[in-house]
Amino acid sequence: MRRIALLALAWLLLSASGAAWMGRAELDRQRAAFETDARIAHRLLSQRVVEHDAILATLVLLQPGAVAGEAAPEQRLPSVYPQVLGVLRHDGTTDWPADRQQALTAGETASRAAGRAVLAHADFTAGHYTVVRAAHPASFALVIDLKALVPRAEWPLPDNGPVRVALQHAGQERVLMPGQVASPGGWSFGFRKHLAAESQAFDVVAERRIGWDELPWGRIAGWAVACGLAVLGIRAWAQQRAGRRRAQELLRLGRVGRLNAMGELAAGMAHELNQPLTAVLANTNAAQRLLAEAPPDLETAREAMAQAATQARRAADVIGRLRRSVQEPGDTTVRVPVAWADTVRRALDVLAPELQRLGVSAEISGDAATRVVADPVALEQVLHNLLNNALHALEQVPAAERRLMLSLGTDSTQGVLRVRDTGPGIAPDALPRLFEPFFSTRHGGLGLGLSLCETLATRMGGTLSGGNAEQRGAEFWLALPLATTPAR
Amino acid sequence: MSTPTSPLIHLVDDDDAVRDALALLIGTVGLRVQAWPDPLHFIGQFDRDSIGAIVLDIRMPGISGLAVLDTLVQQGVDQPVVMLTGHGTVDLCRRAFKSGAAEFLEKPVDDELLLDTLQGAVRTHVKSRQRHQADREARERFGLLSEREREVLALIVGGLTNKEIGRALGLSPRTVETHRANLFAKLGAESLAQVIRRYADLAEGTA
Repeated sequence: MRRIALLALAWLLLSASGAAWMGRAELDRQRAAFETDARIAHRLLSQRVVEHDAILATLVLLQPGAVAGEAAPEQRLPSVYPQVLGVLRHDGTTDWPADRQQALTAGETASRAAGRAVLAHADFTAGHYTVVRAAHPASFALVIDLKALVPRAEWPLPDNGPVRVALQHAGQERVLMPGQVASPGGWSFGFRKHLAAESQAFDVVAERRIGWDELPWGRIAGWAVACGLAVLGIRAWAQQRAGRRRAQELLRLGRVGRLNAMGELAAGMAHELNQPLTAVLANTNAAQRLLAEAPPDLETAREAMAQAATQARRAADVIGRLRRSVQEPGDTTVRVPVAWADTVRRALDVLAPELQRLGVSAEISGDAATRVVADPVALEQVLHNLLNNALHALEQVPAAERRLMLSLGTDSTQGVLRVRDTGPGIAPDALPRLFEPFFSTRHGGLGLGLSLCETLATRMGGTLSGGNAEQRGAEFWLALPLATTPAR
Repeated sequence: MSTPTSPLIHLVDDDDAVRDALALLIGTVGLRVQAWPDPLHFIGQFDRDSIGAIVLDIRMPGISGLAVLDTLVQQGVDQPVVMLTGHGTVDLCRRAFKSGAAEFLEKPVDDELLLDTLQGAVRTHVKSRQRHQADREARERFGLLSEREREVLALIVGGLTNKEIGRALGLSPRTVETHRANLFAKLGAESLAQVIRRYADLAEGTA
């Protein structure tokens, strides 16, 4: 339970930090894009209004004369500049339009004083404003349409895009681009700057709101899923490792358990045999002493000898019972085709921790696909014992000299598996007794391993032989009947 | 040997054949044997005052020989215990000696070894009983002494002459000599050496 909570926490932390990072990056990107667009919009609008100053300056300079019966030449300007609604003139003959006269006259005065165009009147609600430039003989004024101020051709922002753009002047505001109102919450970027013309120094105000829904949820979800998978993967890996360790532990326990059982068997056997032997010895000793007395106590001595004989028979019975109890009830050996490769792999798997501890890796040569007829369990047990012996031998030589060689193959009619080590080899006096039960050179060894192996090999219709290898170390070879149908 | 009865060997083994054979063997050297098939019965019944030794098999049904040994030691039984086992391991041996076993023998046991061990054990036991007896007697005799006589004895054991003792206790050498004579008589001692050997510990305990 705690492990699961920990894993969930790890996943949450990973996902959240990844999401925060991705959201942050997305916001930065959006902000950069917004600021670029806002700057471009500001520049384009500035160019427009500077243009108005230039038109006025040109008109003032050229002072186009009115031709009777025709419209004044400046009246053609609105057809060239769509944002220009009208051109007004004030000279000796024409006055400002009556409805705006006051504002225009005041603007004219201000313009004269400043020596440049000035804003005479602005009505953002109606959508237009008027710039005036005083001169002699004629002063001119331009009525500019705010709606047409945006240069569509170069405008960087789409009409129904998310950015709101407005012009502000003296408490009035005209929205040029409505932008889109984002869902509540989230972030907002702002931009405000004067237009670059003193006559029309309106503020360009751009705003971009980013809602939660605009974060890269798809990528964040992808990341969370990836984190989840990674966490689960790590967990599975850890579980697998724990499982493997447990399996090894069980294997080891099994081995210890078997040893304990063997020890218990030996103790029980020793007791069962020692009791009658003790009686035999004590009775015969007593008889000897009774016969040595002067005069010898013949009657008691005879009884003691009879007792000794009975007890000797009892010991023999114990042995007989033991033999009967361990004898196989019949030949129940399984015989199936087995590939050397499978057996070798399984046996090496079991001994993997030992191999690793000794720094030995088995060198396998020959035809691993060779198939023999055997009892897989018995075969594995034989190989396990041979490998185990080899490893014990290798333990006695320096790590650099340790080699374990397995050669698999056939020998005319039989499948042969050879296990060779570079250990100290077999002592000459031990050689003839290799397969003898209860003969062991290993301290604390029962001396049953090789004897059992040989029994198993014989029962499977094969042979087990052993000796010293040519160069160094010991070599054992197990020969078993070949399977008739090769597995190819 | 000035013991009231001849030594008795208690033989505890659940195996009839082994018990009979060992009893017969031990009997050949003149030791009396009492055989016990049941260890619990043995613990409850055997004569703790008898002179001799105990032979215990380790592997018995119901209670192990080691547990019997522990019980005997706890009850203050002073007979030496010889352990017998058919499956002697170093560990078992160590535990037996640690628990207070006098000897640890493996079955089947050689007659010479067993009999020598038992005779040795009996001798040890007799000696220890005699020593205990002597100690008890000494304590009883020491109890007969008067306060003054004990003081004098302590100084005698300390190696002082009569004259020095007199000075130390404010007595005339003559009075000291009287105390000394009484004291020797009460303790039943014939020589100074004997007094010192038997009563040094007791005298120093009071000084």
